Amino acid sequence: MSTLGRGRAPRRSTALSSRTRTRLAAGTLLTPFFVLFTVAMIVPVGYALWLSLFTEKQSGLGFDGPRTVFDGLGNYATALGDQAFRDGFWVLLGYCALYLPLMIGGAIVLALLLDTALARARRFFQLALFLPHAIPGLIAALIWIYLYTPQLSPVVAAMEAGGIGFDFFSSEGTLPSIVNIALWQWLGYNVVIFYAALQAVDRSLLEAATVDGAGNWRIAFSVKLPLIRSSLVMVLLFTVIGSLQLFTEPLILSRGSGSAVTSTWTPNMYAYSAAFERNDYGLAAAASVLIALAAAALSFVVTRFTNRRKEARP
Amino acid sequence: MSRSWSRSVQALVGAATALAVVTACGGADDSRARGTADDPVTVSFWAWTKGSQEVVDAFNATHDTIQVTFEEIPSGGLGGYPKIANAVKAGIAPDLLSIEYPQLSAFVSQGSLQDISPYLTEDIKKKFLPQTIEMTTLGGRNWAVPFDAAPQVFYYRKDFFAEHSIEPPATWGEFRDAAERVRKAAPRTRIATFFPDDPTFFQAMAWQAGAQWFRAGTDAWWIDTTDPASERTAAYWQGLIDDRLVSTASSFSPEWTGSLKQGTTVGYLGASWGAGVLAGIVPEQKGKWAAVRLPSQEADRPASGMLGGSTFAVSKGSTRTAAAVEFALWMATHEDAIKARIGASTSSALPASPAMVPIAKRAFDTGFYGGQDLYGLFEEAGRSIGPQWVWGPSPGATNAALGDELGEVVGGGSTLPRALRKAHEATVADLRKRGLKVEERS
Repeated sequence: MSTLGRGRAPRRSTALSSRTRTRLAAGTLLTPFFVLFTVAMIVPVGYALWLSLFTEKQSGLGFDGPRTVFDGLGNYATALGDQAFRDGFWVLLGYCALYLPLMIGGAIVLALLLDTALARARRFFQLALFLPHAIPGLIAALIWIYLYTPQLSPVVAAMEAGGIGFDFFSSEGTLPSIVNIALWQWLGYNVVIFYAALQAVDRSLLEAATVDGAGNWRIAFSVKLPLIRSSLVMVLLFTVIGSLQLFTEPLILSRGSGSAVTSTWTPNMYAYSAAFERNDYGLAAAASVLIALAAAALSFVVTRFTNRRKEARP
Repeated sequence: MSRSWSRSVQALVGAATALAVVTACGGADDSRARGTADDPVTVSFWAWTKGSQEVVDAFNATHDTIQVTFEEIPSGGLGGYPKIANAVKAGIAPDLLSIEYPQLSAFVSQGSLQDISPYLTEDIKKKFLPQTIEMTTLGGRNWAVPFDAAPQVFYYRKDFFAEHSIEPPATWGEFRDAAERVRKAAPRTRIATFFPDDPTFFQAMAWQAGAQWFRAGTDAWWIDTTDPASERTAAYWQGLIDDRLVSTASSFSPEWTGSLKQGTTVGYLGASWGAGVLAGIVPEQKGKWAAVRLPSQEADRPASGMLGGSTFAVSKGSTRTAAAVEFALWMATHEDAIKARIGASTSSALPASPAMVPIAKRAFDTGFYGGQDLYGLFEEAGRSIGPQWVWGPSPGATNAALGDELGEVVGGGSTLPRALRKAHEATVADLRKRGLKVEERS
């Protein structure tokens, strides 16, 4: 009894201390994350929610300084009731309709090609495709504005020489113009993700398929693609959320060129314009919260939809 | 495209919060008008106008009781104003800010600036062109020290006009004729550019025609962006745009500067400060340019609106108001300041203080304009600035709406008269949302 007790006691204490140590280590390693997460995410989001409930009212001729008054959900009603804000979502929808198929389809095709290409060509194309991604969006937009500008751009000049007249800055031209910039910038990035997933596919499966008489097309669509499903879902999710954030490229296009991009063209631009052109911080905060909610809802739908289809499979 | 979670929330609120945290470290209380040589008052100053650094250096070299620390910020439309607005909100704004006339009222109505009426005595006000004092007086109080007046003039390629024996136009009727003759002489060449990205460009010409969009009543604003003068200006420019007699590049865009370099744009309806900018864009065309006063409705009744122009205002949180105003007045009305700015940079600003104009004239190198007496022209144009124009408390709403619509106008999706109505509706809606009373012409 006593021997048992004596024998057990130290064992329990080591068990405890090791558990405490694990906790301590976990705590120490996680603290920086939670501190940053709190400072950079929780506090700003909380502040945005707080700001969105207030509005500024003025008196007389408006030169006595504003009073901040509680407005409940007034800013949300204003944002939702504003045609310009709602139109922004339609623009995004059009953007997604054009951008998503081109991006996902293009990236898959290129990744499959890379996967079958010769080793040396593979390395070259991988780098060539990825390079544009190394250029910041702002710089890319500035370069593309130059390439879109009539009378300056060699591209437009070449197109005109070939009998193609296209105004990249017209109201019909702006959406393709911006989709093109985004494609150029992100295509290589997504190709690399798909390509990495394809590389992880078990080669013996492919050999088995070949032995069974499957051609390259059949292998690509019936073996490779189903096996990189999870990467597909991830890229789709990131691209959809990324599209909701559309801001830099259209902003540069609206300022630096005579394009038909308005100051409230996308929801994010609406929030920016509300804050910094119209000095309405409450409205800007409400619009931002609404965009965040839309992003959350959309990612929920995308993950839910794709998971269900996965579960439905045998 | 960022893949992080809602960027706008982060950008907007993150910045505000971060700045708010720093607020506590704001400057020490220093309300002395002047310090001593050993312990000078330090005034911080933000601007982007040409020659600001030179002026600050000149001031610091000749003063020991006030010292200025200068920071160059991006120009207003390209991020300078959001930067100022954020800094003021966070309580870390510098003491003195450079703000253009159209935005001054926005910052005043946001409560971002200090009333400096006590420092601007009648004697001091007399030193300035009356219109510039009018425009910095809002609600009966003075909010800024005017630095320059910015009348609009017409710059043109003298060599091109002479070669094709086209006379520089004196009236808008002649301007249209000249535009047709320019295009006839060189089919790809245009007389000037209608800037769709800058609503103040169109406003300046409506202003010249006698428009008054904002009128302060006793406790309500009268808003009318569709008065006869504005409608007339809109119809005139719509005609030029429809008939492709002017180009429609954005101001200072690669498209615009490229066409100047190639010689396919042979005129520029720019402000006084534009002379230096133009010379900087196409230095190789030295001696080929000249300027005349802006065409007007009738040849014998010259008039002008203002296109930009800057003022110096003291931020709300500053405790060094007296020193900041002293420095601002020095920049606007002291010979050394004008010499430093105009002489050391390519600035061609027309000082708001008429006594300074001869100084600026001597300091400015007019070689680019073949030695023409530009300041004589500017001075005359400055006196003709229509005194009726004031800016309402939300120029941002008006100009954002007008600017969006102007992009459509040059794309063929809208017209200038429609743009004016849109600007009107946006202005009225914004003022009402702020709780202000608005009267409209019925």
